[in-house]
Amino acid sequence: MASLSEALQADLAGALQEGDAERAEQLTRDLLDGGVEPLVLIKQVVVPTLTVVGQRFQDFEIYLPELMLAGEAARRATSVIEEAAKKSGVETTLAGTVVLGTVEGDVHDIGKNIVGALLTAHGFRVIDIGRDVKPSRFLTAADESGCDIVAISALMTTTLPAAQRTLRLFAEQGGASRYCLIVGGGAVTKEWSQQAGAAGYAPEAAAAVALCKLLMEGRRPK
Amino acid sequence: MLSNYLPMVEQRSETGPYMKESDFDMAVAKQIADLVKRYGIKFDRKTVVPADDDLADRVYQAGLELVLALGIYNQSTERRIIFSRQEVEAAVATAPAAVTLGTGRDQVVMRHLAVEGRAPAVVSSGPTGTPCSERTYPLLLQSCAQEPLVDCLGGGSVATCQGVPVVPGSPSEVAAARRDGAVAREVVRRVGRPGMHINDVATPITCLGKISGVDAEAGLRTSDAFLVAQIPELKTSYDQLSRAAYQRSIGIHCVDLMTPLIGGLSGGAEGTAVAVVAAHILGVICYSASYHIMGHMSLRWSHNTDRIGLWVFAGAGQALSRNTPVVTTAPLYTRAGLGTQQVLWEVAASAMVSMVCGLHPGGVGATGGSQTDHTSGLEARFSAEVAHACRGLSRERANEYALAFLQHYEDQAAHPDPGKPFAEIYSLEHLEPAPVWQEAYDVVRQSIIGMGIDLDKGWREVRHG
Repeated sequence: MASLSEALQADLAGALQEGDAERAEQLTRDLLDGGVEPLVLIKQVVVPTLTVVGQRFQDFEIYLPELMLAGEAARRATSVIEEAAKKSGVETTLAGTVVLGTVEGDVHDIGKNIVGALLTAHGFRVIDIGRDVKPSRFLTAADESGCDIVAISALMTTTLPAAQRTLRLFAEQGGASRYCLIVGGGAVTKEWSQQAGAAGYAPEAAAAVALCKLLMEGRRPK
Repeated sequence: MLSNYLPMVEQRSETGPYMKESDFDMAVAKQIADLVKRYGIKFDRKTVVPADDDLADRVYQAGLELVLALGIYNQSTERRIIFSRQEVEAAVATAPAAVTLGTGRDQVVMRHLAVEGRAPAVVSSGPTGTPCSERTYPLLLQSCAQEPLVDCLGGGSVATCQGVPVVPGSPSEVAAARRDGAVAREVVRRVGRPGMHINDVATPITCLGKISGVDAEAGLRTSDAFLVAQIPELKTSYDQLSRAAYQRSIGIHCVDLMTPLIGGLSGGAEGTAVAVVAAHILGVICYSASYHIMGHMSLRWSHNTDRIGLWVFAGAGQALSRNTPVVTTAPLYTRAGLGTQQVLWEVAASAMVSMVCGLHPGGVGATGGSQTDHTSGLEARFSAEVAHACRGLSRERANEYALAFLQHYEDQAAHPDPGKPFAEIYSLEHLEPAPVWQEAYDVVRQSIIGMGIDLDKGWREVRHG
């Protein structure tokens, strides 16, 4: 027979999958009050559940609204867990911080939003600076947040020069060595990203999550 | 009743209810999900062309209610523009049911089409969201314009101008727009169809860039058109509305471009059909559109030739045909690339479903617009042949054919045949299809004729009565 904790963890997984943020938050509190370790909740419930949600989205079994709701539920649960971890002196479990935006001149942001939702679901802190973002705004957001990764999105081929301009500014200002600069979006190819000097490229949202995780592995010893 | 809603739209953009965009997105998602449920709209994978008038009317009512519930979001002011039922119904009732495109001998009249109707379609062509290289662009455009069954020529997006990347909002964007307009004008002259309707200069993405393409002699003129976009889902901006204002002031056609995303905020097939209907209504009232481009596509692969995409064409097309006078075109976004049989089966399915459900066949965006130079005249010719042959076809028969056509490509959706760009499937000297592309066309064409669709009779009747 499953223990009460196991049953609650299953309930939390269900709430996350259903995108029920209020229930997810309450169940998280209940589990923490019941003595479950914050790290256990992250590793055994939040991340695996949201990995499944992300895969179901990739497979077109669920659609963007469900993904966004699950991402919001995960954000609320993770926030409670982090708060508890801080109080008990446990090291924060954040996967990393990502500044995310769509380049200047590009008003398309659904792809960026999906990447943001998936990264949040996987435990990243996402600072979404929106669409049509000037290069200097990317740099300021990175410096102010002390992020690990700057994720730059461009859908239109005619906005690739703006992506290039953003990367160039980071290179000129020393930001390319402080942050991992990654690019994606419909207009971007692997070849272009390499020529432009990006640290990484992801062809779609799930690949962006994998790329961020990989890049964070490289930053761990820092 | 108004003839120009723009002043009202701007005034409400300033004073309408404020809403964070992310909250608007979630409101759209929730509203659509509720409407789909309330109106009992259901997608059936085995019936990609439903023959259910009541379903079509429910899709329309759901789309209308969506407009009334949420209006349209102006990203520039972060406010919703709200309309009353009376305003919406008056705008829809007075929308054009026929538009005259082009001039002189090359002029065509694009009319509202009935479901299962026999009125001829007007056939569009051109890159349709497909990026083009600067060197090849004039040639592939010419290959489209020279096709006798093609009525209109759509512009393509060329990322460079004299070899230098085009920067939006910069002098290069203006130069590129001027270049695009001049190239299209020269192409239609070169093929002896100087009055052919030209639809858009697609490289510029700002209002300034777009309107730079206007030039009665060496660019776009009032018998041509520019696209004004709705941002998915149900959003506009002052940049888009400003284009509509300029176009209205000079009398050039305004075309309402929408790209509802299957799998996006509107959910699956049912919700996307509702969003498509709502976008048409909003295009009527906000942009005073001459005609519309029903450009829904899959969020996953940017195509609309699968069962869901076809069902949306069928469901929304019938809904609009039965309940409004609007004129709509259906661009086809395929998975496969040019030069393949797969892409032609995708074109055949979409052109047939569109025609039967009251939509004019739009251009073909091969590879979902992801690969450069995947446009030629041959697939436009094929689209026209199929559409003309399917005039008057019943929805039941169209469904049978669509299911049969799908057998030829849907299993390859995850790994489509990438095909080849224009330069490898056309003779650049003679602008004729290369043998590999001609052979693919011949094979698929004969297969479809063998299935009982007379691809010669249809266009001959349209041309010669």
